[in-house]
Amino acid sequence: MFKSPFSSASSSFNTMLLLAIIICFAPLLPALLGLLSAAFAYFPALGLNEFSLLAFKQLILWPGLLDSVLLSLFITLVSTFLAALLSFSILQSMWQSKHWKWIESLLAPILGLPHVAFAIGFVFLFSPSGLFSRFVVLIMGESNAETWSLVHDQYGLGLIILLTLKEIPFILLMSLSLLKQLNLKQTFQTAHSLGYSTQQCWQKIIFVQWLVKIRFSLFAVATYGLSVVDVALIIGPTKPYPLAVLVWQWFNHADLSHYSIAGAGALLLLILAIFTLLCIRVIEWLVTCKWRSWLSSGRYCLPLPGRLTVYICYIVSLLIIPILILWSLTFRWPFPALFPRVWSFSYWSDELTYMSEYINNSVGIALISASLALLFAIIIHEFNSRRTRGRYGFYIPDILIALPMLAPQLSLLFGLQITTLLVPKPYYYLWVIWAHVVFAFPYIYLALNGAYKSYDKRLDMVALSLGMQPFKVWWTIKRPQIMPAILIAWAVGMSVSLAQYLPTIMLGAGRIVTITTEAVALASGQQRRTSAIYALMQTLLPFMFFLFAVVVGRYYSIKNNQYFLARTK
Amino acid sequence: MKYFFSALILLLSNMALASQLDWQAISDKAKGQTVYFFAWGGSNEINNYLRWANKSLQAQYGVTLKHVKVSDISESISQLLAEKTAKKNQNGHIDMVWINGENFKSMKQHQLLGNAFAKQLPNWPFVDKTLPVNSDFAEPTLGLEAPWGVGQLVFIYDKNTITTPPTSFADLLTYAQQHPQKISYPKPPAFHGTSFLKAALLELSNNNQLLYQAVTKNTFQRISAPLWSYLDKLHAVAWQKGQQFPTNGSETLQLLDDKQLDIAISFNPNEVISAQANGTLAKSTATYAMQAGALSNIHFLAIPWNANAREGALVAINFLLSPEAQSRKGDLTIWGDPTVLQKQYVTGSAKNTTLFKSIAEPHPSWQAALEAEWQTRYGH
Repeated sequence: MFKSPFSSASSSFNTMLLLAIIICFAPLLPALLGLLSAAFAYFPALGLNEFSLLAFKQLILWPGLLDSVLLSLFITLVSTFLAALLSFSILQSMWQSKHWKWIESLLAPILGLPHVAFAIGFVFLFSPSGLFSRFVVLIMGESNAETWSLVHDQYGLGLIILLTLKEIPFILLMSLSLLKQLNLKQTFQTAHSLGYSTQQCWQKIIFVQWLVKIRFSLFAVATYGLSVVDVALIIGPTKPYPLAVLVWQWFNHADLSHYSIAGAGALLLLILAIFTLLCIRVIEWLVTCKWRSWLSSGRYCLPLPGRLTVYICYIVSLLIIPILILWSLTFRWPFPALFPRVWSFSYWSDELTYMSEYINNSVGIALISASLALLFAIIIHEFNSRRTRGRYGFYIPDILIALPMLAPQLSLLFGLQITTLLVPKPYYYLWVIWAHVVFAFPYIYLALNGAYKSYDKRLDMVALSLGMQPFKVWWTIKRPQIMPAILIAWAVGMSVSLAQYLPTIMLGAGRIVTITTEAVALASGQQRRTSAIYALMQTLLPFMFFLFAVVVGRYYSIKNNQYFLARTK
Repeated sequence: MKYFFSALILLLSNMALASQLDWQAISDKAKGQTVYFFAWGGSNEINNYLRWANKSLQAQYGVTLKHVKVSDISESISQLLAEKTAKKNQNGHIDMVWINGENFKSMKQHQLLGNAFAKQLPNWPFVDKTLPVNSDFAEPTLGLEAPWGVGQLVFIYDKNTITTPPTSFADLLTYAQQHPQKISYPKPPAFHGTSFLKAALLELSNNNQLLYQAVTKNTFQRISAPLWSYLDKLHAVAWQKGQQFPTNGSETLQLLDDKQLDIAISFNPNEVISAQANGTLAKSTATYAMQAGALSNIHFLAIPWNANAREGALVAINFLLSPEAQSRKGDLTIWGDPTVLQKQYVTGSAKNTTLFKSIAEPHPSWQAALEAEWQTRYGH
């Protein structure tokens, strides 16, 4: 009889499972309740004693609300659409080509660039006084200096481009494991034998299968674009503001009556998120089910700019680090000089004296929350992997696991923050770490998916049938094999935690300063030299943990291989 | 009658006692406390100054000063209000705030400030009483906040770009029309943006004295009308055609250095000196004020009623008012914020600051009204 590696009878496993469920999912309930009660003006602790729809009325009457809503939807849908289309075009034109190897190997470091650091660097490149304009002036003369701007521009074009460029590597990474599940080799052989080109095969056969499988990643991309605040503050439009920024401002407004409007706005954000996800689902359905005649209507296929996209996406991403380094070492860099006129290390030496405290905060919170979230993700994976046996009717559904990733973060945090007012004493670190666990958990869970799916369960069964204790089976047989994936998942969790802005600011009441909160504060204060320094640190920290994960993971896989080689000899 | 007098005397002496701070006990209690100081954090010069203050406070008084960088102090006031309503009267998360004007009025009105303290600080005697340190935008401070520095709305330009800068708002419009896309101001309700509106309104309304009284619907419509027609004309030729505004004062400085704007806005008459010393502005930049004078105000330090480290905050504020701290704050290469102490007590370049002719701030109620109207007209 099969037993789970963590014995199903073991009460300690059940306790851990319960703890995992409580810590990772229970906060969603007060988050929603807090949000609803603030929006409907019933929150006695804040002196709101009667249900009312006043906040919604004020929300609707807010000058320019519709503009903000439409702008948010425009930014979200366009950036998601572009990211999906361009990622697919990259796959179509570059998959397994001679350049594929470097595309794949650069994926992780590019993906590891935090959004905030990316935004700060993007501004240095593409603002009207950015490096790009300096080149334009050099070539075309000062009178041609740009008057248009991709930073804070009216239609959010800068934000759309940034989100698209930043999400392409994410979708590519997610596609890697998806494409392995599809039987590509055979598909190509069949298509080629029928006279279809590789490109036609991608568009007519693989696209539909890919689109269905990439759905959840697109959902995550869309929700992020809709609810992002930190990046929008740095680069997003200001007239009108995107809805998420508007809600953030109401939440911070000196007049307490804005709390209810903020609540109603955060609820609207949640509704828009659901609407956006439905839109994506409907588009998917239209393309793959309803109007599928294009799939069988002949050999025509769209020319997609895959190669160009890769170049643009990778070049911009790879320029971010050097431009940040340049600004961090700048003393004087007047426009339109191509390089700093006077260099200085003084900004670095000033900041380095004070940075250790912020690094300690960042890394300390990330270590605790990522490790906890990893533990819980493993426990829930173990629990869920039993459901295939059919012996347990109950399992944790994927949608619940992904919820913190799919719901707008601002909406959830608003509800949580308001709930903390009910707790008599402040526990800033506890709340911040807890929130980081909740938001890091789904990413860690996802990162473990592949390893859990491909693990050969027969190994467990043999060990168990030979009488080994369930936990020992997991520890000595399964763990070493999935260790590289565990390490990567842990590093993913670290990077998610290190990049959190809103949870740290909102639940830490501003008292907890991390590298990320500092980077956002300095970037919105237009302090180019110091914000470059913090953006670099923000990039360096997760990179170090990824490096650690890769190096130690390699050690494990070598050891595993040696073990099996020794056995087979 | 006799009883009445003795009761009165007793009462008065009690009040005097109650308001007398036992400084020894306070500094003993402050030792080891951490003071969370919520203050605008968008300037390297200010941030670095507060880092120095923390070091000195730790060394001299055993008090740790943590600067919590906020982008607008009104954020913190909403949090305090939430705590007040939720009856969290202890262990508050804010120990000290940097405020003035509308925000002070709001804190006072909602009783978010504790007992009066300013005049009992050991360093109070050094304060220059010729400055309006007892009222904040015409609102009596009642010792609920202590003055920290003087702000004057000034303009910065590059002498290589402009020979004679426009010294009135009327001239500014003419300049903007001659040099399209080169003039702008921070987007209200950013502090510098609202101040720009107030200064413009003062000039355009010929210093209407009604601006110094609480705003009414009637006076607002009548007096503010010239401002909106002025702004309509200005926006048509402004930077990004008035479709975009800088987010705060520091962005105008950056845009000046980027040659996007010809004129930047600051509340520190010495900003250009420290900015040149830090490499953020060119050596050819200079400061000027409008001919009518510079909108002037004093910025203050206050302690919320539920502060967790009230004693530490008192010690910190007293230190920030000391000749040592004020001289450093006024040092032109460090921050250059004009001192609130009498000149004879400060040393170094802080002594050399000369203020521009000053224009008093309008009644604080005008601020919210102007911001709301601006939002409806141009904010979206």
